[in-house]
Amino acid sequence: MDAIQVRGLERTFGSVRALDGLDLDVAEGELLGLIGPNGAGKTTLIRTLAGLLAPSGGTVRVLGKAPGRAVASEVGYMTQAAALYDDLTVEENLSFFGRIYGLSPRDARARAAVLADLVELKDKLHTPARDLSGGMRQLVNLTCAMVHDPALLLLDEPTVGIDPLLRRALWAYFASLNAAGTTILITTHVMDEADRCARIALIADGRTLATGTPQALRATTASGSLEDAFLHLRDRAPA
Amino acid sequence: MSGGRIRALAGRIVRGLRHDPRSVGLMIVVPLIVMALIGYLVGTDREPLRVGVSAAAASDAPSAAYRTAFVTALRAQPGIRVVTVASEAGGRAEVIDGSLSGLIVIGGTAAGGGAPVNVVVAGEDVRVEEPVTRAAAAAAAAASGHPFPADAMPGVNVTRIAIPTGRHPSTITYAAPALITVFAFLFVFMLTSVAFLRERSSGTLDRLLASPVTKADVLIGYLLGFVGFATVQTMIVLGYATLVLHAEIAGSFWLVLLILALLVVGVVNLGITLSFYARNELQVIQFIPLVLMPQIFLGGLFWPVATLWPPLRWLGELFPVTHAVTALRDVMIGGKGLWDIASQLGALAAFALVMVLAGVAVLRRQRA
Repeated sequence: MDAIQVRGLERTFGSVRALDGLDLDVAEGELLGLIGPNGAGKTTLIRTLAGLLAPSGGTVRVLGKAPGRAVASEVGYMTQAAALYDDLTVEENLSFFGRIYGLSPRDARARAAVLADLVELKDKLHTPARDLSGGMRQLVNLTCAMVHDPALLLLDEPTVGIDPLLRRALWAYFASLNAAGTTILITTHVMDEADRCARIALIADGRTLATGTPQALRATTASGSLEDAFLHLRDRAPA
Repeated sequence: MSGGRIRALAGRIVRGLRHDPRSVGLMIVVPLIVMALIGYLVGTDREPLRVGVSAAAASDAPSAAYRTAFVTALRAQPGIRVVTVASEAGGRAEVIDGSLSGLIVIGGTAAGGGAPVNVVVAGEDVRVEEPVTRAAAAAAAAASGHPFPADAMPGVNVTRIAIPTGRHPSTITYAAPALITVFAFLFVFMLTSVAFLRERSSGTLDRLLASPVTKADVLIGYLLGFVGFATVQTMIVLGYATLVLHAEIAGSFWLVLLILALLVVGVVNLGITLSFYARNELQVIQFIPLVLMPQIFLGGLFWPVATLWPPLRWLGELFPVTHAVTALRDVMIGGKGLWDIASQLGALAAFALVMVLAGVAVLRRQRA
C-alpha cells in the first residue's frame, strides 16, 4: 500500500491555482524529496496531506484514508517555521504535544526526555523555547512532530535557516528514522539536499514535472545538474 | 472530545503564563491601580458639597410639610451641606458662579421640568452630580409620606435603581458592578484574543489542527485555561471594591460569580473569534475600543440610557455587558435572587452560546 497517493489534486485560493492537477505516490518506508521553487505548491500539498486544507479537486489518500483526524495520530507534521510555544520550556512543549496525541502526562514527559536526548538537547529541557537559537528551535520543532512516533512524517522545509553542520546532522537523523521504517515526505528548494533522498519529485506551478532517483533526473540534461534538469523539464512541460 | 487533551490545552495556558511573570504581575497590578484611582476619585472623605434647596413657583409648589421633611432628610445625607436659597433663579446663578455645587428644586422648575425633584448642576462632573442626585433621591424617599402638590406625586424620577429599604448605595457600590463587568470583559478579551492570535501566527494552531484534537477540545481547553485567570482578576476587583472601598454586596456572592462566569464564557469565545480577523497584536488591541466602548456608552454603565434614542437603546439591549451590569446591580445593590435576574442570565447564556458557535465556525474555516 502507498503511504501517500495523490491523483489530480487541485487547490485554488481565490483566482490563484496553487495546485493544478498534481499526482504523487509515496511508497511505505520511502524517503521522498519534494523539490520545487518558491510558490510551486509544496506547502499547499503538505498542508493538504496534513488535513489542514481541503482539496478543490482530485483525490488524496494518506495511509489509505482521507487526510484529517482519522489518520492524524499516525502522521507527524513539521511546519516551515518553528511552531512552538515560546513561553513553555522544551520539555513542556514536547510533553504538551505528546498529551495532545493521547499520551498520559507521565508517558509524555518520558517521551520528551527520550526525544531531547536524541537531538542532543537534554541540557536544554528546562529552557524556555524563546531562549533557544534558531537551529535548536528547529530541532525541537522536529521532535514535536515525532512525539507520537508517527508512521509518516511530513516535513515542510525543515532545514531552512539552519547552518550546514546542523543541516547535515538533521539529514543523518532523517535517514536513521527512515531506516527504522518511518515514511518521510520532505520539501526543500535546496537542490543539493535532493541527493540525500532515495527518490525525488520535481514540482512546479502546482504540477509534478517528473519523479525518479536523483541520478536518473540528472541524466536528462548534459550538464548533469539537478537545477538544469529542473529548468529543462519545466520548459518542456505544457503550459 | 477528550478529557486528557482538554486538560493538556488548559494546562498549557496556565504553564505559559507561569513562565511569563510580567504578564501575570500586570494582570494583578493593573486592576489594583485602576481601582485605587477610582476609590480616590469617588472617595467619601472630601469636603462636603454645598447644595442649595429651593421650592418651585407657587402653582405647583409642594406642601410645606413635604418641604420640611425633604430638607430635614437632605440635611442628614453625608457629604453635602444644605443651604436654603431664596429663589430658583438665584440658586442657578450661584451654581454657575461655583459658590454652590448643585441646586435641588422641589416641584417643577422654572424651565418647565416635570420631575417632582430636580437637580441642577453645572457641567458634567460625576463627582458632584452623583452624590447630589443620590442625596436628593434619599431625601425624596424619606419625604414621600407627605402630600405633594394637589393629587400627590410621591414617586421620584431621579432614583435610578431599586434599593432595599433604608439603604442608599454609595458611589462605589453603584459603580462596582460596572467596573467589575468592564474589567472582566477587558482582561479576558485581551488575554484570549492575543493568546489565540499567537497560536495562529506561531503555527501551533496548525499543529493542533493536524493532530487528533477536536475543535471542541480547543475551545473548552482555552476556556478552562483562562477561567482561572479571569476569576483571579475579578476577585481582585471585587475584593478591592468591597474590602477597601466598602462597596456592598446585598445579594448572593455566588450569584455574582455565576453572572461573571457566563460573561467570561462568552468573552473567551469572542476573543478567539475576533482574533481571526486580526493579523497582528496591534490589531487585536485596536478591536478593544470597537468592542467595549459601545457597550460602555449604551449599556447604562456610568450614566442612564433610559432617555436615549430608542434604536440606540435596543442596540444596548443586545450587548452582554448591559445584561451583566443590570444583573450585578440587581444582586449587589438590590439584593435580588436568581429568579429576579433570570432574563439577564438567559441573555448572557445566549451570548455565550452564540460566541461558542462563532468560535467553532472560525476554527472550522481555519481547517479548510
